[in-house]
Amino acid sequence: MKITDWLKRHPVSGVTVERDASLEEAAQALLEEPECRDIYVIDADRRVVGHLGFRHLAGVLLSAHRPTHSRRQMLNRVARGPVHEFMDQRFIAARLDESVHHVLHAHMERRIEDIPVLDEEGRLEGVIRLVDLVRAAIEPSDDSIG
Amino acid sequence: MEILLIGVLLLAGLAFGTLGSHYFGVPRVVGYILIGMLFAPALLGGQLGMTDTEWTQPLVSVALGIIAYVIGGAISLGQLRRLGWSIVGATLGEVSGAFLAVFGAVLLLGLTVADLPLWSFALVLAAVAPATAPAAIVAVVHQYRARGKLTTTLLGMVAIDDALGILIFALVMAAVSSGSLGGALGMAFWEIGAALIAGGLGGFLIERLSRRFHEQSMLVPLLLGGILLIVGLAEWAEFSALLAAMVLGVSVRWFCGSHAERLLEPIEDLEEAVFVLFFTFAGMHFDPMGVVDFWPLMLAYFVARAVGLFLGGGSGARLAGAPREVWSNVGFGLFPQGGVAIGLALLLTHRPGFSQAGEIIVNLITATTLLTESVGAISVRYGLSRAGEIGLEQAGGKAK
Repeated sequence: MKITDWLKRHPVSGVTVERDASLEEAAQALLEEPECRDIYVIDADRRVVGHLGFRHLAGVLLSAHRPTHSRRQMLNRVARGPVHEFMDQRFIAARLDESVHHVLHAHMERRIEDIPVLDEEGRLEGVIRLVDLVRAAIEPSDDSIG
Repeated sequence: MEILLIGVLLLAGLAFGTLGSHYFGVPRVVGYILIGMLFAPALLGGQLGMTDTEWTQPLVSVALGIIAYVIGGAISLGQLRRLGWSIVGATLGEVSGAFLAVFGAVLLLGLTVADLPLWSFALVLAAVAPATAPAAIVAVVHQYRARGKLTTTLLGMVAIDDALGILIFALVMAAVSSGSLGGALGMAFWEIGAALIAGGLGGFLIERLSRRFHEQSMLVPLLLGGILLIVGLAEWAEFSALLAAMVLGVSVRWFCGSHAERLLEPIEDLEEAVFVLFFTFAGMHFDPMGVVDFWPLMLAYFVARAVGLFLGGGSGARLAGAPREVWSNVGFGLFPQGGVAIGLALLLTHRPGFSQAGEIIVNLITATTLLTESVGAISVRYGLSRAGEIGLEQAGGKAK
């Protein structure tokens, strides 16, 4: 199945935040969409420039409650920067004309929850969620992955 | 037999350290050092065929390379800017205060060891003094749920002061390794310059190569290989391995930009294992008679370091515009000294010309570490309490 068709069947718009937003703002945006586990960082032209996972975000925000810190975590705690200082710039993304089957391997290899789908300009078209993929895989009548 | 002993030291050290901390409330390093003493060549180590500690040299070099990489990778330029002048100023004051106070105290005491001129011995000892123990300070901050300006300042300071300490140590080693001033300048230029170039270039290459590996497990051999390569290259070409490994971390962080975590976290996870090795190795070198013979030196080091940290950190913070509750208390939070200082001291024992001085310094740092880790925790708590920051961190993360 083409990704464009997958997104019609499983429409998920994804959560975005601007690159200079604070981590608290990013967390707020994610909490408003509890089904999403990843946030995509966008530039002024709304192009996706990075990815930030919920676990990473939570780890930094809750760092004061850890009994041990590495020096890097200590500096993240006392001199915390905006969201673009924590994002992964080399995130995996899919295109609308690719097949779901093809992006799945890369998805599993990188142990991430969701795959962003970008248009030609790099803007977010939607998100393929791991939970939807698993749901489709265990549903005998669903052949959408293949 | 060496591999067997390393396994025993790691496991027994961990067990003893954890049990001691759990049942007797003593710092874990006490257990690590005791296990090291037990397996010294004169005791059980000898039974296992270990007649000396020479075999630990490559391990100490690599382990220090790992720690230096982690220290270098902790700092980004943006964070340094955001830390603010008061934290940076306090750190500069603390590091220079400890260095100058110990240097002056050792010179005044006039005590050295047979194979080293007094000024060299004083410089080397002073270069070890600025190192602190962030883990001990974080543990107190966490235990007493501290929050506020002093807490922030302390955490910022101990996260960056070891980088300055390593830089000073590398400069001092370059200076004292050469007899003449001209030779010292030439050697310092090579030791420092080559380390900067090798570390910088290595960081760039590691970041580029890391783009090909997406699995975290593939990054571990890449990072360890890079650190081993840079340390080995430095030993072969005789430039500072310590500085090169630290610059490697800085460079990886610089070229990776955001999300450098994937290239730092796997190595950060090795830090406790490295410290177990350092403390157990230090225990293996421990000589009670050395401690007795050199007690004036140990006392001078301990007092001078404490005074230097207190006055240097306090005046640095005050000059940089920190509020009163910070500059008048910051010195209390800096006393703990631990793994980095021990590692630097162990490195000296294998340095040509420093073997005897190195043994004395390892014993001195081991003895004072036991003291600073215990007294230091009380002192950190006292400083935080005086600043009124104890108990302000709530579960939700908001101050009262």
